[in-house]
Amino acid sequence: MDARLTMAAKKLTVSGLGKTFTSLEVLSNIGVEIADGEFIAIVGPSGCGKTTFLRIVAGLEAATTGEVKIDGSLVRGPGIDRGFVFQNDNLLPWRTVLANAMIGPEIAGRAAAPSRSRTLDLLKLVGLSGFEHYFPRQLSGGMRQRVNLARALAVDPKILLMDEPFASLDAQTREIMQTELTRIWEQGRKTVLFVTHQIDEAVFLSDRVLVFARRPGRVRETVSVDLPRPRALSVKRTPEFVRYVDHIWSLIEEDVRQSVLHEGA
Amino acid sequence: MNRRGAGVSALSIIGGLLLWEAASRFAVDNSLFLAAPSQILIAIFRLAVTGQLARHIEISAIEFALGYGIASLLGIAMGLLMAESDRAKKILQPWISGLYATPTIALGPLFLLWLGIGIWSKVVVVITLVLFPVVINTEAGLRTTSERLIEMLRSFGATRQQIFVKLSLPSAAPFVLAGLKLGIGRGLIGVVVAELFGSRAGLGQLISQSADSFNMPNLFAAVIVLASAGIAMTAGFTWLERKLVPWTRD
Repeated sequence: MDARLTMAAKKLTVSGLGKTFTSLEVLSNIGVEIADGEFIAIVGPSGCGKTTFLRIVAGLEAATTGEVKIDGSLVRGPGIDRGFVFQNDNLLPWRTVLANAMIGPEIAGRAAAPSRSRTLDLLKLVGLSGFEHYFPRQLSGGMRQRVNLARALAVDPKILLMDEPFASLDAQTREIMQTELTRIWEQGRKTVLFVTHQIDEAVFLSDRVLVFARRPGRVRETVSVDLPRPRALSVKRTPEFVRYVDHIWSLIEEDVRQSVLHEGA
Repeated sequence: MNRRGAGVSALSIIGGLLLWEAASRFAVDNSLFLAAPSQILIAIFRLAVTGQLARHIEISAIEFALGYGIASLLGIAMGLLMAESDRAKKILQPWISGLYATPTIALGPLFLLWLGIGIWSKVVVVITLVLFPVVINTEAGLRTTSERLIEMLRSFGATRQQIFVKLSLPSAAPFVLAGLKLGIGRGLIGVVVAELFGSRAGLGQLISQSADSFNMPNLFAAVIVLASAGIAMTAGFTWLERKLVPWTRD
């Protein structure tokens, strides 16, 4: 087990987690311990249940077996101790950028004035100063994902849950957003669970990569990424980085081949 | 619409009017069958000067406003009820679907018999025409609330009530407005046809009285006034939609 775990407090503990939809076992016996301030990426072939796992941690779905604990207390449903960053930005089209980003504190019934100034700071942090009063339809995909991120951070969550947030962006925008996320994360060092199907994205962003296997979904291997921080995009061209990517690819290659051949995924 | 497009449309209207004028003067040349735009304009002017036009418009406007207002409020309320309660939906749905497809305007004579020759028989006809598109659109708008957006709100621990107020209502607004817009044309038809069945005043009554006396300029005058009212109200609604639900523009 990672040495950091013994030193830092455990933020998230998942044990014996399983999920069965009618008769299909989607997740089986998942156990993970995540330290405060760790950036964890989850990769795996499509259908490995990585998104379902994230949704269970978010409390959007119930586990069939096992439990999820945050700071030692059991997760029973959604709550603002977690901030969820969605794959589709899920912005409300009738709300401005600021009003969209403030919806979490608003739902939680927090005082408007402090939330507002905090959210304005966050919008500056994610690079949206000057766009506070724009509407979603006036923004690019990358900018909408920045609002999505600011919205999740606005509740000041203990854990940030990110579900393939850059999947719908074009390749160049995605790379920019990866460095932006690293920069933002360095400011607060929140605990992050980041689901992606891009192996290089997982290695670039995270401290550890949970590699999922499919049928049923389970953790095949945990890969610690010992690349120095802060990281720049140039790290992707180093031999160490390529070795991590190759290793993870070798772990999921057979699974991906199976899913492509048999399900035409 | 750009300036050039507007210019082409204006030319089309002017050209059409000229063609109409020419046809009625030279081809038909019989004011029993067709009135020229110039004659209609004069008829409108005469009716306006004598105060007849204002009286007819007033009666029709009152009937329309009452029927439309009642149908809108009732329609939105029923739509809300049907979206919120599955039982209410099961009870009301067959009636709504059935009556929406029925030309309820044919029941006009019946309402005339029940409610008399005054405004209320017309108000009821307007209600039966405007109510159903409003109910159906309100209900559909509330039910088509995006699952993804519900989930987003749920992730912050939103209650059912918060989801309704912050998401379902605003996302149903464009549908409700579309239903109300659809109701304008149907309501105007309702007023006119109900008045044709029997009334003492109103634009429909002006039409039937003019037809009986073969006064085509007066008949067309009433039709032109109705068309203008319909166009103006629909345009007003489009403006309102732009103000209230700007996100549906693209």
